[in-house]
Amino acid sequence: MIRAVETDVAATDADSSVAVKTIRVRVLRQDAPGRESYWERHDVPYEPNMNIISVLQKIAAKATSADGRAVPPVAWDCSCLEEVCGSCTMLVNGRTRMACSALVDKLLVENADEIVIEPMTKFPVVRDLVVDRRRLFRSLERVKAWVPVDGSYDQGPGPRISPKEQEDAYPLSTCISCGCCLEACPQFTKIEVIRRDDESQEEFDARRKAAFDKGFLGAHAISQAMLFNAHPTGGMIADERLKAVTSQGGIQMCGNAQNCVAVCPKQIPLTRSIARAGRAATLWAIKRLFDR
Amino acid sequence: MSTNPASGPESIDSFFSRHQFLIYRLFSLSGLIPVGAFLVVHLLTNASVLFGPESFQSRVDLIHSLQPILPFVEWAFIFLPMLFHASVGFAIIAGGLPNVGSYPYVGNVRYTLQRATGMIAFAFILWHVWQLHSLGKSFGGGAFKPEQATSTAATAIQSAPVAILYAIGVLSAVFHFANGLWTLGITWGIWTSPAAMRRANWVSIVVGVALAAAGLGGLAGMLTTDVDEAERIESKLHPKNDAAAQDGR
Repeated sequence: MIRAVETDVAATDADSSVAVKTIRVRVLRQDAPGRESYWERHDVPYEPNMNIISVLQKIAAKATSADGRAVPPVAWDCSCLEEVCGSCTMLVNGRTRMACSALVDKLLVENADEIVIEPMTKFPVVRDLVVDRRRLFRSLERVKAWVPVDGSYDQGPGPRISPKEQEDAYPLSTCISCGCCLEACPQFTKIEVIRRDDESQEEFDARRKAAFDKGFLGAHAISQAMLFNAHPTGGMIADERLKAVTSQGGIQMCGNAQNCVAVCPKQIPLTRSIARAGRAATLWAIKRLFDR
Repeated sequence: MSTNPASGPESIDSFFSRHQFLIYRLFSLSGLIPVGAFLVVHLLTNASVLFGPESFQSRVDLIHSLQPILPFVEWAFIFLPMLFHASVGFAIIAGGLPNVGSYPYVGNVRYTLQRATGMIAFAFILWHVWQLHSLGKSFGGGAFKPEQATSTAATAIQSAPVAILYAIGVLSAVFHFANGLWTLGITWGIWTSPAAMRRANWVSIVVGVALAAAGLGGLAGMLTTDVDEAERIESKLHPKNDAAAQDGR
């Protein structure tokens, strides 16, 4: 708090000391998949209104650690810089969030001594802060998170959706596939499949997909399944989605910790989606039991 | 299931994989019926000791009037469902990765406590069954005598360390049940909106507090029981057993 206030003053006061204008940053780095991770300290000159992306940009420009060694720039993913693309998810001070909307002035209020940046822990690290989130997208494939309109003929205009249904669906449609809900979920655990030397790319892909398909879908995919099941055209394959939602790694894996909804940067009512999926699964299971 | 029946060595793993949803739902249900229902009946029965040894004895007599089918009832509706619930529960705990240190939200604390209290309650129940149930007799336990319900139970519990362990065990079981009631409602989709979950949460809090009061009340009743007085009352209610006991002395 004090540091942030002092530096705000310093920006307008020319004879303030330079020492207070430095942010100490600790980054958990990893050179390649499967390699040991290691901590590295960086000193970054303070500027008002920085976010974690601009901190990482300064680290990359400097490419020198706090102890004066020339180091390769820290690698990270980002794109839109406005919390819409979902690509810059990382752990900042131990909590999953979007680096673009993680504001340094606020973080310094939490902890003035240091900012700690780590890659997500539930996905395999590619390099430094870059992780491989293909399992997240595989989950969306598993639940068929789309409206099936592909075909060789014109299917005509879609059915009308009432404003009430639109209001209900809109929050779910704001999901940016950032993976925060998965990172914070104690039931969603990391699946990392390493390619064997004697394995072709196709064999490896198939083995990895099979491993993903045994794991928990995650809150994002369950919520998307509910979004598309509520859609009049998307709901035409509602049974296929419910089959996926109740297969291995489905809704039953949820442990009701409700961290997903607490960390979601878009405030998506994920636990409502999960409970609705639970209800739909209950009714679907009864239907399957008696209607077959 | 429409999937082909599995055969060969991988069939057991495949069985659990294919029926994971059903197994987890049966796990959830078994926590309420019959295991949770039994917990409620058990704690309310215990609490009757607060109205004196006669009151507790009459309820124990009612339960034991089920003899000779009582062991069947116990295994079918209490022990086996409880072992099923515990087995699946331990598998669930093994598959999770608690992170309450990084995400100290109320829901996450409850998630962690649900697992901790489940394990404490399981260990407590094993010890409790050994100590008091007739099944424990072959292993040096089984101190409870149905015809002398209050005196034998009170004698077993009336020491400070045992009483403290009982309080921990009972409160763990009660938290596990009350919190589980709330999560069960989400699992089955009974309450789906955040507002409904909050209302249901109040219901589970009231159930939890009431059951904790009954459980601790029963424990306090046992601790304050005058064992000699209780034995006199029991000998009046079951004169035959008392005669046998007198012969043995």
